[in-house]
Amino acid sequence: MDRQKFIDALFARAKAEGFEAYEAFYSSGEQFNAEVFGGEIVDYSVSESGGLGFRALINGKMGYASTEVLDEDAIDLLIDGVKNGAAVIENDDRQFIFEGSSEYASVDNYSESLAAVSAKDKIQFALDLEKITLSRDERIQRVGGCAILTSSSECAIYNSKGLNVSHKSNLAGGYVVPIAQEGERVNTGMEICVKQEFSDLSAEAIANKAVKQALDGLNAIQPESRTCAIAFDSGAATSMLSVFSSIFSADAAQKGLSLLKGREGEKIAGDAVTIVDDPHLAHSGASTPFDGEGVATYKKNIVENGVLTTLLHNLKTAAKQGVATTANASRGSYAATVGVAPTNFYIVPSETTQDELLAAMNDGILITEVSGLHAGANQISGDFSLLAKGFLIENGKKGAAVEQITVAGNFFTMLNDVVAVASDLDFGMPGSSMFGSPTLWIKSLSVAGK
Amino acid sequence: MASKKAFELALSAALTTGGDFAEIFFEDTRRTRMNLIDGKIENFVAGREHGAGVRVYKGLNSVYVHTNDTSEAGMCAAARSAADAIGSIQGGREVHLVQSVIPNLHAFREIPMDIPGASKADLLHAAYAAAKGYSPLVSQVSAGIFDWDADITIANSEGLLVSDRRVYSRIAINAVASENGENQTGSRSPGALRGYELFRDFVNPEEEARKAAESAVTMLKAENCPAGIMPVVIDGGFGGVIFHEACGHSLEATSVAFGNSEFCGKLGEKIASDCVTAIDDGTMANEWGSTNIDDEGNPTTRLVLIENGILKNYMIDRLNSRRMNMPVTGSGRRESYCYAPTSRMRNTFIAAGNDDEAEIIRTMGDGLYAKQMGGGSVNPATGEFNFSVAEGYLVKDGKIDRPVRGATLIGKGGEVLKRIDRVGKKMWMAQGMCGSQSGSVPTNVGQPMIRVTSMTVGGR
Repeated sequence: MDRQKFIDALFARAKAEGFEAYEAFYSSGEQFNAEVFGGEIVDYSVSESGGLGFRALINGKMGYASTEVLDEDAIDLLIDGVKNGAAVIENDDRQFIFEGSSEYASVDNYSESLAAVSAKDKIQFALDLEKITLSRDERIQRVGGCAILTSSSECAIYNSKGLNVSHKSNLAGGYVVPIAQEGERVNTGMEICVKQEFSDLSAEAIANKAVKQALDGLNAIQPESRTCAIAFDSGAATSMLSVFSSIFSADAAQKGLSLLKGREGEKIAGDAVTIVDDPHLAHSGASTPFDGEGVATYKKNIVENGVLTTLLHNLKTAAKQGVATTANASRGSYAATVGVAPTNFYIVPSETTQDELLAAMNDGILITEVSGLHAGANQISGDFSLLAKGFLIENGKKGAAVEQITVAGNFFTMLNDVVAVASDLDFGMPGSSMFGSPTLWIKSLSVAGK
Repeated sequence: MASKKAFELALSAALTTGGDFAEIFFEDTRRTRMNLIDGKIENFVAGREHGAGVRVYKGLNSVYVHTNDTSEAGMCAAARSAADAIGSIQGGREVHLVQSVIPNLHAFREIPMDIPGASKADLLHAAYAAAKGYSPLVSQVSAGIFDWDADITIANSEGLLVSDRRVYSRIAINAVASENGENQTGSRSPGALRGYELFRDFVNPEEEARKAAESAVTMLKAENCPAGIMPVVIDGGFGGVIFHEACGHSLEATSVAFGNSEFCGKLGEKIASDCVTAIDDGTMANEWGSTNIDDEGNPTTRLVLIENGILKNYMIDRLNSRRMNMPVTGSGRRESYCYAPTSRMRNTFIAAGNDDEAEIIRTMGDGLYAKQMGGGSVNPATGEFNFSVAEGYLVKDGKIDRPVRGATLIGKGGEVLKRIDRVGKKMWMAQGMCGSQSGSVPTNVGQPMIRVTSMTVGGR
């Protein structure tokens, strides 16, 4: 069935059932992925898929159901699904179906020229990326992954209160994992780059960064265990911010799952820390004019000079706390319920270069990679203990590369211990939320080594 | 479901441009999840996933296209788009399918979707009460029931047409203990390839909830784990995550076929101590990582990976079997029709050994006893792994001394396998979701208690 016809038929049934309010959230996407190995395309996939999430307010409870097929059976499944769901829900928080904001910002993160790039040109990019990577140094003998990806996505929300909004975006990304070998020593590098325009992706730049990383680690040593000053470079700091971002969710706080509960207005981080949530950032796949409930988005400081200004809210969490929503309602997918998530969430950079920051730090370790974040970082306690790589910092300069260390601490303590931030803000992996950070200098953390 | 004729037409369409093999993976999955937090049911959501993925090979080149439109026209369009991507028009051939029927080794009785929401809610409330009741320090408990019922059909240009039905049930319980502005957590999440009878006959949700609470409270009282190199005893069950990360991923053809594993070219060689025998078994009745057939339509198998320290087998999917010139092992898996399959683990464990568990700790000297593991990850090219200890204890002179929190174990897979000097007598398994190239799939990890003579322990 055609999407509009399906929604019309679904809404007619919902009205006949006497639901108080109801909403359809439709999202669809197209993905292109080509992976090369040894000058051959080893993996190539093209996909187009979508689905519809339906929710309805029945006796004050919000039932949810979703489907990827739009046929008569699916209408029954959705109607029964929301009824069954609403019937067992006991949470009595006030639920919302939103009628729409008076105005929405214009957010342009869809590139027509990217949409027009041919599969042949994309594949050529991946082939070039592998070739350039392999040509950089004789110790780089193969890659552990080299691919080009493009994706576009579209979402739309329609509801019984007259809301009708939609938005689409696209982006392109390339990555390579060079494997460096010298004797028995093996080390991998990894660089991923994401742009709005295909023409802005540079195979040279990606290859150079990844190769440098792979070679730098070849001579790495395992240092002695110590407690010392730590700098997380932009990539590592972004990983930390991303994995702990849920502590800024009002939903988590209200459920007792974030230690930031009730701490609005208090100092929670060093003076150097200002964190922004900017849903209108140019060329980001996470930018959007409306959130998962259809509320107009806006840019705001979450932490300002170390003070927590607000947590991230949707309509439900805001009503519960008697504040206005920050328009951070999330819909992870059409199958997901409404939650809370950041958009483009980043630590504001300073004017200090990374070199200047390391010179001031003088002695410690620069961490360039942290692994095992899904296991070694606990958002509820804030504790982390992570496998890491990086460099010793001696007399203000980069010394020997280090590996097989862990860096451990507590994220809440670490926020307070931020001494300074650098100027090199960069963003991490693309997703429905994007995270970014400059290099961060932390007063002290524990490092396990020999 | 699509007709046999629709599969035949789509497979023929996929082979019109010089492809030498084509496959269609059709899926219709119904899923429900119910969550409870703060003692109240938060949501109960039903969903249906439906689509087909078309794969075409030409030599070692592979193209994958998937679609939600499983009509004859929809699947043929996806097949033509895959064919267009793999080559230019070269005629093609007709495909004739023969339906094969496989016995179901994983019986299920109560279809989870048919269970009334109120029954599931009762079960979650009971788990909540048990965890809360464990200690006044338990400040929050969340619990969820997740189940799905997947109908899949695989058709390929060799004439295979085969279907499987997979019914999964799982419960997850997370407890938070709080005191003086500090939080610690404990969790349990048993599941199986079974229906709702799992919760009546095999898993006691209240007991699991109490264990989650106990772990959270113990960790609240724990000190930070000291950092350094020391002997480590890892308990059975989820402790098997060490083998999964440190070794299992590096034995998947996904890494081996490209020369990106430290275990390449080492079949028949000694890669672990004599006391280590490791198995990947997709046939164990009703286990979380089992299936009747893999996601390429091959029967699943029991595969000895390491026998008394000697490397015996890799886990190999269809495309990588071409690359490696070795037979498939029924290890091709994928999260859903949205992913091309690749070689993946199923139920992977270190087999029971001969050592007495009490002796293992008594003779370890000073070190760490990792009773409950968290998750981990590995870089197969270098073997560097990491995983977190959810509940750990310091051992002093062979005696368990005190609980410690925040420990992480790191190392390189090849090295740690050679340093295992004790393997206990009782093996058990635990459930996880393993993420890799072909998405997130249910896998069991397992082992008896093992001892590693020295490991780097991250702490503070």
